[in-house]
Amino acid sequence: MKTRKIGALACAAALALTVAACGSSNSSSSNSKTLVGAGSTLVAPLVSVWQPEYLKEHGVSVAYSAIGSGGGIAQITARTVDFGASDAPLTEDEFKEAKEVVQIPWALAATCIAYNVPGLSNHLKLTGPVLAEIFMGKITTWNDPKIAALNPGATLPSMKITPVYRTDGSGDTFAVTNYLSQISPEFKAQIGNSTQVKWPVGIGGKGNSGVGGALKSTPGSIGYIAIAYVLAEEFDYALIKNAAGNYPVPGIASISAAAAALKEIPSNNEVSIVNPPASAPAAYPISTFTYSIVPLSSPKADTLKPFLKWAITTGQKFGPKLDFAPLPAKVVQADEATIEKIG
Amino acid sequence: MSSASIPASGAPRLAGAQRKLADRLGDPLLRGLTTLATLIGVLALGALVYKVFELAGESFSKFGLGFVTSSEWNPVHNQFGAADFLFGTAVTSFGALLIAGPVSVAIALFLTELAPRRVRRPVATLVELLAAIPSVVLGFWGIIVLAPAMSETIEPALNSVLGWIPLFSGTPAGFGLLPAIVILTIMTVPIVSSVTRDVFATVPTELKEGAFALGATRWEMVRMVILPYARSGMVGALILGLGRALGEAIAVTMVIGHTPQITASLFGTGDTLASRIASEYQGATTTLQISSLAYLAAILLVLALIANALARLIVRRTGLRGQAPSSGAPTAPATTPTAPVTSPSGALPHPGAVAPAPGGGAS
Amino acid sequence: MNAPAATPAPVSPLLRSDGRLRRRRIVNRAMEALATLAALLAVAVLAVVIVSVLIKGISAIDLDFFLHSEVPFGEKGGGIANAIVGTLVLVALASAMAIPVGVLIGIHSSQFARSRTAAAIRFVLDILNGVPTIVTGIFIFGLLVIGHQQSGWAGAIALAIIMLPIVARACHEVLALVPDTLKEGGLALGATRWRTVLRIVLPTAAGGMITGSLLAIARVAGETAPLLFTCAIVGPGVQTNPAQALASIPVRIFELAESPSKEQHAEAWAAALLLIAAVLVLNVIARTLFGRSQARIGRTR
Repeated sequence: MKTRKIGALACAAALALTVAACGSSNSSSSNSKTLVGAGSTLVAPLVSVWQPEYLKEHGVSVAYSAIGSGGGIAQITARTVDFGASDAPLTEDEFKEAKEVVQIPWALAATCIAYNVPGLSNHLKLTGPVLAEIFMGKITTWNDPKIAALNPGATLPSMKITPVYRTDGSGDTFAVTNYLSQISPEFKAQIGNSTQVKWPVGIGGKGNSGVGGALKSTPGSIGYIAIAYVLAEEFDYALIKNAAGNYPVPGIASISAAAAALKEIPSNNEVSIVNPPASAPAAYPISTFTYSIVPLSSPKADTLKPFLKWAITTGQKFGPKLDFAPLPAKVVQADEATIEKIG
Repeated sequence: MSSASIPASGAPRLAGAQRKLADRLGDPLLRGLTTLATLIGVLALGALVYKVFELAGESFSKFGLGFVTSSEWNPVHNQFGAADFLFGTAVTSFGALLIAGPVSVAIALFLTELAPRRVRRPVATLVELLAAIPSVVLGFWGIIVLAPAMSETIEPALNSVLGWIPLFSGTPAGFGLLPAIVILTIMTVPIVSSVTRDVFATVPTELKEGAFALGATRWEMVRMVILPYARSGMVGALILGLGRALGEAIAVTMVIGHTPQITASLFGTGDTLASRIASEYQGATTTLQISSLAYLAAILLVLALIANALARLIVRRTGLRGQAPSSGAPTAPATTPTAPVTSPSGALPHPGAVAPAPGGGAS
Repeated sequence: MNAPAATPAPVSPLLRSDGRLRRRRIVNRAMEALATLAALLAVAVLAVVIVSVLIKGISAIDLDFFLHSEVPFGEKGGGIANAIVGTLVLVALASAMAIPVGVLIGIHSSQFARSRTAAAIRFVLDILNGVPTIVTGIFIFGLLVIGHQQSGWAGAIALAIIMLPIVARACHEVLALVPDTLKEGGLALGATRWRTVLRIVLPTAAGGMITGSLLAIARVAGETAPLLFTCAIVGPGVQTNPAQALASIPVRIFELAESPSKEQHAEAWAAALLLIAAVLVLNVIARTLFGRSQARIGRTR
């Protein structure tokens, strides 16, 4: 009977696939040849370039899922991944909950303020206080006098401003809220500084790509998005006034300038470089390091350590194309010392 | 004794002693295996309910039942509450039912009363295939095709004509409650219409013919005979569709805009229980947040199960013997003796059941 | 003579021929038109969705799409080879787990269980069927992923739980439809219970069981929610080892959908086209098979 034959064939096929899958799990890639990580969407473009390169050079397959910095912290805390990735440094509570982890700054980039306003040209000038008011919902239209004052030559439409924010736990949110909290006490009181805050107005997107998508489909919107995505999608982005009064274009030069203003590296490797002082005239004010968070004792330590060492040295050369600035030497030094502690 | 009915056994006959052994062992073995399988099934359900409630434990011990009425969802301050999502779930699900209900009844009537014989099978199949579309595809279609089209045509039209009603006030945006309602409607119409069709098929022809004999038009016959007879069955079908809409996560999360809020306008964005879990679970940062999301899942589970059980109860009472619609399977409509075994309606798994299930769904 | 004046026999209000008849006919026509419209609307929506996916997806389908996996950020080319393989592995594993168990449950509740037990089993299956798939994902996450890592096994088990009630219910219904005369004939010939079930009842119901299985497969092939927390963190390239998380087509579409990039959207459309085609083909095959097997059962009555 035909149906019986079909049924038998289907069962055989399913069984064969099962056996093949189990077979491959015995022979190929055993535990030590793979690493699993999750977290920051800001560093995801760089990791996606690292993945095939590292596989080619060292035969190790690195799995990565860009679920947001908050997710990276949560997953490494639960040890469901081998390493987490976060643009936000761990808080004291998070360190406690994560139990014996270290954070290793392994890439350096920036969060840009992108906007989608038909008719408005690129490089709109904004200041921290104005940005804070936009995200707090106090400035509601593009032709607001405060924006006009900063951009005398531009024709600003009377369109409504729709802020776009991250709905997931995000290091970009942390960088932006960190910056705005330092600039505006009112912002700090009302919204605060964290990877996930309650934004009073606007629409949400998940991950950097979600914000990009929301920006693209909402005329009049403005949102914060990692620099790699801004340049890949060719968004218009704002120039933010830094402490020295300049409006540096976010890019490798201005990001490196912000990182150079870093005086010393604390023992927990928390390196925050938003709102650099006026002594760094060319610094972009919302630059951010991004960290890899690894357990001090991990079953995959001997696969993990070479990967981290590779990332902070050889891996850096893939950065500039995606607008990641190379790590400053003293950060690399501190990193190497930290990596040695992993065992 | 039809000779075609017993399939020829192709296996070699066992020798006497072996055969006796096989015969003695076979029955208990088969019984044992099948009982084991059944226990696995029951265990799976029990473990599922237990685990979800266990995961929700931390949040439940912190917030208690007040979680259900609290409208505060603030991960930074460790404050969580389900009210916004219950609102979003209610608005989107009931909104979808409001549209899907009449449409499904109309489709069922078309298929049982109006359509010429040749057209019934194909059209019925096409409607059921609507349920086979994976929800991620529907959600993606919603993002790229539906939401922009709605924000450019339907929403401004509604706003200009009915903008004085709070429901349609505000500026039409791309994402939001309205596209979510439309997508949920598309997903629930197949199951509601399929079950309704089965319910209509059980209406005794004598009653229908009686109405015609009295001179009723077709619509009057429907109004006087079919609809009252099938009333509870239709309610059951609707509740089944409700269960389906409640549990849909993926398609909704792609178009609804992720804003926990209670808003009067359908143009606004919002969030539902399932959608919030889908978008936030991976990135949840604290165990309290994970637990609160599990708490949302527990609420969702309870709601879906209630809807499911209620629907089963109602439809069962309309006499669809052996045809609990929530997990349809090839069956013949049981109450019309004249219907052949291969009768189209009800003979195939209900699309909302075998394809997306009520309360479940290809999400 | 003293007969009362003959009152005209009461005429059904529906038969009275007055101006209302025209109005009733118009209302009837209008309702018929609405019903037809509703059916056409449903078919139209289906057509619109399929045609959109077809038009937007066909342009992105090329050999690269099938042979290559994702490429690094910003690069062109690339495809969903790893997602295709991953979905095949996950669905195969889930089927290998769910179909045998589902068939056995169907046999139990239709052949061996008393009617009250059978009703209870059907009740449990219905409840399992009604669990939202995202809750299933959370269950498996809590059970298998916490404390460990995501894996293909976790994803496959989550899918199997979704498939189980569908297969079990379909098998039960079809097995219950097998005419008692067949069973009794087998028993009368001296066959044991198990021989009767395996040799007579099962083959007769095979068509329906295969239908149920195919429909269950079509259903889980498109599921995203149960895989989101159990099987989503994937490495580069094609992988078949279920000890790690495997890429899958629905999850990939979900990820690509959120991107603002035009190329990634095109890839998502192509993946959606592939998925819809597979699901619809499975559905149509299942329904045709079912029709033929029902005809066979009909002949044996």
